[in-house]
Amino acid sequence: MSGCDRQVEGARALGVRTRTGARAPRMLAMAVTAALLGCNHGSASDSGLSGGDPDGDGGTDEIPAELEPAPATLRLLLRRQYVGAIDDLLGPAAAAAASPPANVSLNGFDAVGASQLALGDAEIDAYEESARAVTEAAAQAGTLSQWLACDPASAGEPECLRQVIRSFGRVAWRRPLHDTEVERYAALGTAAADGLGFDGGVRETIAAMLQSPHFLYQVEIGEPDPEDPTLRRLTPYELATRMSLFLADTVPDAALLDDAEAGRLSDSEGIREAAWRLLERPEVRDSVNAFFGEVWRLRNLPGLPKDLGTFPQWTPELALSMQRESMALIEDLVWEQDADFREVFTADYTFIDARLGFHYGLPDAASLDDSHARVELSRHDERAGLFGQAGFQALLAHISSTSPTLRGKFVLENILCRTVPPPPPGVVTDLPPTDGAQTMRERLEIHMTEPSCSGCHLLMDPIGFGLENYDGIGRFRTEDNGAPIDASAELEGVAFEGAAGLGEIIAETPDTTDCLVRNLYRHATGHIEGEGEEVAIDQLEEAFIEAGYRLPDLLVEIVANPAFRVVAPPQ
Amino acid sequence: MLRGMVGGSIVALALPPLEAMLDAHGEALADGTQLPRRLVTWFWGNGVALTNGSDAGSPIRFFPSQTGPGYELTPQLQPLESVRDHVSVLSGFQVSASIPNRRGHHDGCAVLSGHPFIELPSGSANYASMFGGPTVDQVVAERVGSQTYLPSVQLAISRRIVTSEGPSLQFISHKGPKQPLAADNDPRAAWTRMFASFSVPDDPTTPHRLAALDAVMADADELKSRVGMVDRHRIDAHLASVAQLRSQIDALAPSCDIPPEPTQANEDVDGNEPTEEVNRAMSDLLALAFACDLTRVASVQFSGSVGFNVFHGLGHSMGHHDMSHDAGLNDAMDASTIETMRMLAYLIERLGQTPEGASTVLDNAVIFASSDAASGQSHQVVNMPIVVAGGGGGALVHPGVHLSSPGANTSDVLLSCAQTVCPEITEIGSGSGRSTTPVTGLSV
Repeated sequence: MSGCDRQVEGARALGVRTRTGARAPRMLAMAVTAALLGCNHGSASDSGLSGGDPDGDGGTDEIPAELEPAPATLRLLLRRQYVGAIDDLLGPAAAAAASPPANVSLNGFDAVGASQLALGDAEIDAYEESARAVTEAAAQAGTLSQWLACDPASAGEPECLRQVIRSFGRVAWRRPLHDTEVERYAALGTAAADGLGFDGGVRETIAAMLQSPHFLYQVEIGEPDPEDPTLRRLTPYELATRMSLFLADTVPDAALLDDAEAGRLSDSEGIREAAWRLLERPEVRDSVNAFFGEVWRLRNLPGLPKDLGTFPQWTPELALSMQRESMALIEDLVWEQDADFREVFTADYTFIDARLGFHYGLPDAASLDDSHARVELSRHDERAGLFGQAGFQALLAHISSTSPTLRGKFVLENILCRTVPPPPPGVVTDLPPTDGAQTMRERLEIHMTEPSCSGCHLLMDPIGFGLENYDGIGRFRTEDNGAPIDASAELEGVAFEGAAGLGEIIAETPDTTDCLVRNLYRHATGHIEGEGEEVAIDQLEEAFIEAGYRLPDLLVEIVANPAFRVVAPPQ
Repeated sequence: MLRGMVGGSIVALALPPLEAMLDAHGEALADGTQLPRRLVTWFWGNGVALTNGSDAGSPIRFFPSQTGPGYELTPQLQPLESVRDHVSVLSGFQVSASIPNRRGHHDGCAVLSGHPFIELPSGSANYASMFGGPTVDQVVAERVGSQTYLPSVQLAISRRIVTSEGPSLQFISHKGPKQPLAADNDPRAAWTRMFASFSVPDDPTTPHRLAALDAVMADADELKSRVGMVDRHRIDAHLASVAQLRSQIDALAPSCDIPPEPTQANEDVDGNEPTEEVNRAMSDLLALAFACDLTRVASVQFSGSVGFNVFHGLGHSMGHHDMSHDAGLNDAMDASTIETMRMLAYLIERLGQTPEGASTVLDNAVIFASSDAASGQSHQVVNMPIVVAGGGGGALVHPGVHLSSPGANTSDVLLSCAQTVCPEITEIGSGSGRSTTPVTGLSV
């Protein structure tokens, strides 16, 4: 049995909005909705819960009884978060010298790997080398002294060292330091200053603090919830850190730390206000791009191997250009157009440079240059939306051919959050010969006559058949191996034609929204949601829909949701 | 700071060379202790070709028809001709740790550990798995690692490794389920780690580096008391690695010639991986590292499980994993196996050409080489292709033999290999993959 004789796990009739679990707290969802209706972008003061909370149950400040959060864990800063933090702390020259180890992803998320896996010798080695290189670069760039607000000559070197440790530590470790910690590093710095002078002492102190687990890990222990012993609320500093690392891939700025210190992050109103302000940071664009780079695999485009015998046009520059196209569309929809995010699947415009223009064979390619410019696709709907982009097509292909299977699998798993069972283990797959087949479609259709394979491939391949007009590097074609392409296709029983047709179905189905919300939540919290968090997923979906599918609103609602703010006691 | 700055120069050395410590016969150290023993695991992905490509149930093309010494070299084993006396071939073994079969490739990767893999509950997120326990190289490194500058090294040749299904497919060395060990895949990085990270005597940064690590350890100890059991283990791992780095900073540079920094990078050239060149550079470095006794344990991931490396030198244009599933490309698959054995042969030859007293490094090493499947086409993990090379310090049968043991556990082979370095190891693996019985006839 292949496990695919039934439908794919999680599959539901498209077009019918259903929810996982019937435990969604309707009253609370309504309260959230009401609160959102009064919510004006960037001006959380209008969204006072009292005005938008007719039930008076506290809106999203009320922790739903059904909510069972995941246990607290140490979460290693992602590579990009480490570099972002160094940039904030010590400037761009220091960030350029940073060389933290690569992330290892679990279940498709760097953040999940970062909250489960342990470090080894090579990683500790890399962190030490990085800390020393970063500090050296900062010393040369003169950015260490920004943490010194004290005159060693008058106040004394040890006292000024403590001042640097306190002020640097508050941002780098995202909380006020304990006295024992201050003294520990002051002793180290004083000893170093003995031979290296005061500046050298500061340098060694900061190099050490950047190797501390308090810098390298997001520590989320929380404090007991006075009303519920099974829960722990993140401390204000832990919450500020979680917000900033999620939204901006860096440590909290001074304003956010001040919010934490002043208790302004204790309710959803204060959190929303801080979150909207945080979204104005330029780093947020990169952070959102990085998220899609992970879940939609766009980050794999640079260096993506292709067989140059089959695709002599393939170059690293072309791959980068493709990645930029996808990211530019996401940025435009989210940050410029303030649009319904689902347009990413249907947009009738895109952003391309001359290189991609020629790759697409667009007539106005000659008028383009090295930078990506907006191009209308009214007469080229084969390039509409994400599925019409060459980057998507190239990523989801083999080295020397297309792969309808990979494309279909991606749509099911990464866009719709379906679970496609694996090939049956140990089963001898005596595939019928495909000598008579001319096109990729014909070959796969012959394979699908093999019963042990057909269950799953019937779910995946017919989606990819609709994209066979795009070759392995995303060029549009009408023939495969000399035979005309039959691009008739279906997604879970719904027929569609081409990338534009697929984009329309995907944009319409509620499961796409559900999946996007889940994936953002997984990245934000560093774990795969459990049953006890479905209530939060439901609330977030509701909020996203009420906000017209605007992604910034969803980001803000995620950090304001109780599920983002509480953890279970550590295991 | 010295790191990365040694260049091609030979560093002033503090310890007498290994050679100078040998006894008069060159068969042991002057104090009577045996010469160091080494263990290498060498892995390639996606199995080998079938005797009949259109019959996925047919046996693999790999094994000699006769058993015992003097077995004939099949075309797949032909590249090992020059080192055949040092090579044993094992047939019939199955990855017992794969029982019950749950997922192709993930099952087979357990060949390196003997522990059934751990599935990660994923809901509707991507499938992933972790190793169920330490790989054999880390079982050995746990016992002998403290005797050398580096407890073990991890090297990778192909960079086209699957990273989306968890550590099981991505890495071939694991200290435990939550501690996969990343590999150096660039010869220059491997050189830096092995030959260019020593502290020089009186390096002025040394006390500051050590003080920083001490402060970090104090922070970690305090943090440990505030977290749960799961994170306590992670902090323990963190602390152990800080202690390891501390001991490396404190260590005197070993006494041997530092090879010049390799010029070979691991970057695609005209869209192709420089596989042969990188394999050569890595094998050369490993032979020198063993000769210097910088480490006694290594893993080499020649290609990945589900890896998409292309044997462009053979005229191939398809990724290896895709090829392994195409019945029509069985002959191309076979050519890739022969090429892979040629790459393995280079490492064996290099160890064999590296003298050590009256013997060679190869005489005092064992190399376990296998894949994550017998045949990639069906993901079958019975009758696995296994090569065991080296003398194991005299512990392994010489000349090499072909041993057939239908249905036996691949962990038996791991145990035999581990015992050449640490005879006190009495078991490998767990659950269905556990073995307490080394292979009869492989050791003398």
